[in-house]
Amino acid sequence: MSIVAKSWDDDDTLLAALKQAVRARRDVPPDFVEAGKSAFAWHNIDAELAQLTYDSSRDSELATSVRAESASIRALTFSSAHLTIELEVTPDSLVGQVIPAQSAVVTVQPRSGAETVVPADEIGLFSIRPIPPGPFQMYCRTDAGVDVLTGWITL
Amino acid sequence: MRDDPSVIALVARVGDGDQDAWDELIERYSPLVWSICARYQLSRQDVADVGQNVWLLLVEQIGKLREPAALPGWLATTTKRECLRVLRAVRRHEHAGLPPEDQMPPDPAATTIEQEIITAERNAALRAAFAELPRTCHELLSMLMSDPPPAYVDVSATLGMPVGSIGPMRARCLDRLRHSQHLVAVLGNQAEDIEVREPRGEHRG
Repeated sequence: MSIVAKSWDDDDTLLAALKQAVRARRDVPPDFVEAGKSAFAWHNIDAELAQLTYDSSRDSELATSVRAESASIRALTFSSAHLTIELEVTPDSLVGQVIPAQSAVVTVQPRSGAETVVPADEIGLFSIRPIPPGPFQMYCRTDAGVDVLTGWITL
Repeated sequence: MRDDPSVIALVARVGDGDQDAWDELIERYSPLVWSICARYQLSRQDVADVGQNVWLLLVEQIGKLREPAALPGWLATTTKRECLRVLRAVRRHEHAGLPPEDQMPPDPAATTIEQEIITAERNAALRAAFAELPRTCHELLSMLMSDPPPAYVDVSATLGMPVGSIGPMRARCLDRLRHSQHLVAVLGNQAEDIEVREPRGEHRG
């Protein structure tokens, strides 16, 4: 590092370093940066993050066998330490379940547009209709007070 | 190097719920997160997933960071961990079917995470310093950095500046950049390194 520090005394080297710095920022796609900015919407919500742990569309073997039975079912699983959310994509809606089964309130937050709130019944079942057209996140608060947030979902 | 006062101020403002400060933090650090993702040859979709998780974890953790100056290190480590998690998931499935344009290009000059952090911090300081330059300097240096470098005649015509002034102006602008507080924050600690190292070199000589 000390070599770099010294060489910045040289105008050409400094300009080249600046050029590299500007390019490094330009290489980052705008939507990558925007996703980071929108994440702040959750800053005052003390929720656990549920990671995507299963996506049938990424599992080619399973996708083939599912396609044989039904053309359109895609299944996703989000897991956190205390809660799992399973989601199935049907032609006109999303059908989900909170596990362990319990009643909850599920908020669907699209990246742009208004949020939708749907109840999950006592066995944790909920449905979202219509399917959000763009990226969205789900925020689930169980009646027992467990808060879980998923990452962005694009279907 | 890791105690840039502007970052400490940003983190404090984020703690107060300041979206603008958060946006600035994302602008500053997205190249670091992106460059680490680029090391793992993930698909664009997977890189997007990694990014989303890293930012959400940052939202969750930023209030708990004991040392705001440790933020770049925390981001780098978290990004690396998330990339490896996605990579393990991807490897379980067939990977060969992805079209080439959907894959991140391999990074031929892969460096260590620590180097990645140092480069990213240096770049962020340079960009911050550059953003604060007067407009004339900003325009001139932007033009001089284009590929291929323009002839001074063209620079003169575009910026309405006599050809003879371009060289001296370039030197003045770069000098302003060099003395920006952002670069002093980065170079200050490096200068200490130099001072520690050089006397030893002389004795050895």
